Amino acid sequence: MIFFVILMGLVFMAQIVEFFIPPLDWMYNAHIYITPMLVFYGAMALPFPLMLVLAFWAGFLLDTFNTQVVGTHVEISLGSSILLYAVLAGIMHGLRPLFARGRWEVHCIMSGLCTSAILLGQYLMLSFRRGSLFFSREVWWQIGGPGLLAMLMAPLVFWMLHWLARATAYPYLPRRELRI
Amino acid sequence: MSRTSIVALVLFIAALGYLLSFDTAGTRKLQAGVYQLIAPFLTTGSGLEKQITSVRSGLKSLQDLEAENNSLRVENRSLRATNQALRDVEHEVNRLRHALNYRERAAFKLVPAEVVTRDSSTWWRTVTINRGKEDGIEPDMPVVTDEGLVGKTTTVSRAISIVLLVSDENCRVAANVEGTREQGIVTGERVIGTVTPLLELSFLSKQANLQPGQKVYTSGVGGVFPPGLLLGMVKSFRVRELDGQAQLNPAVDLSKLEDVFVVTGRK
Repeated sequence: MIFFVILMGLVFMAQIVEFFIPPLDWMYNAHIYITPMLVFYGAMALPFPLMLVLAFWAGFLLDTFNTQVVGTHVEISLGSSILLYAVLAGIMHGLRPLFARGRWEVHCIMSGLCTSAILLGQYLMLSFRRGSLFFSREVWWQIGGPGLLAMLMAPLVFWMLHWLARATAYPYLPRRELRI
Repeated sequence: MSRTSIVALVLFIAALGYLLSFDTAGTRKLQAGVYQLIAPFLTTGSGLEKQITSVRSGLKSLQDLEAENNSLRVENRSLRATNQALRDVEHEVNRLRHALNYRERAAFKLVPAEVVTRDSSTWWRTVTINRGKEDGIEPDMPVVTDEGLVGKTTTVSRAISIVLLVSDENCRVAANVEGTREQGIVTGERVIGTVTPLLELSFLSKQANLQPGQKVYTSGVGGVFPPGLLLGMVKSFRVRELDGQAQLNPAVDLSKLEDVFVVTGRK
């Protein structure tokens, strides 16, 4: 339970830190996102009910921090990101047997794919709202770039979280050590 | 699926349904509340970010000096470091004096504000400023610098506000072109792949034939933005099937915003 509370706190901190991470101009202004990696690790390591709570918390923060209220309309409804996080975290949770066997390379790749999936979901929703949909090189980079970065960062982030889970004597971890 | 999981799923769906049912006012209120709660984190983070940037720029100039003056002694380095610190103070004083002058000569009532955070999301162009309801700020107030229009406020909490930048596709500003009768709507781009975004001026007549460098100002139509605020300079013009469209370089460098003013009314 301590680990779960820490994870919730880390998600909050990561969401704040993301405000201060500038976009990467060499990657068509792609952003670096840390929060999805934390949520997707939680999706593997936590039992289903706590995974839902974590997805709700992360989606709620993402929505309230980013939702654009212009005039009399809201661009993307509050709760949309919760739904996105829950679905993707559910998929990651489905891969838990692999994690339980000590494998985590699939999860690193999935973590990147899911990060991009969140951005794609947001882009499709706002395009629907604005009435036109197009995909340019910039769009693909801004969707795919954060995913690629997440894939690269995921092993380190997962290793740190795994260490934290062990340090807090979290009981729901794989029986075998994680290995690649 | 265990009983606990089913209960958790039902509660999750209920809470999600509740949030999805929020209307615009409810969303704005909730967002303002959350921003008020995180305001201390944002202002502290902004302060830290500025300190780190200042240290980094200090180190950079020291490196430059070292390259040019290999024979400098330790006391010279110390003196130059002190000098650098004083230059930072001088820059700060000049910046504030510049801002104060603009505030005094402007025709509007202006509330000075500092940018706390820049856009953290991929799809929306916003910044957060350290002024809110307690400073007389309300939603849909124009935000400017002495160089031109920055955007408008959207969600306003007690001490912090979100500003939608002119470079966002959702920020639409009625505009006219200097020296012509041409009027149009300025919007941002949905996706920006460069550091400096461009603006689009649409619904011009096909015969507009705008020239690079022509200035574009707010026309005042719509009521949110007062007339006469500089939006940008024409970069290029093209004729589309139904209208003419110009690309503009924004008057304000939106990637380096530090101090802005919120227009709260006329003097």
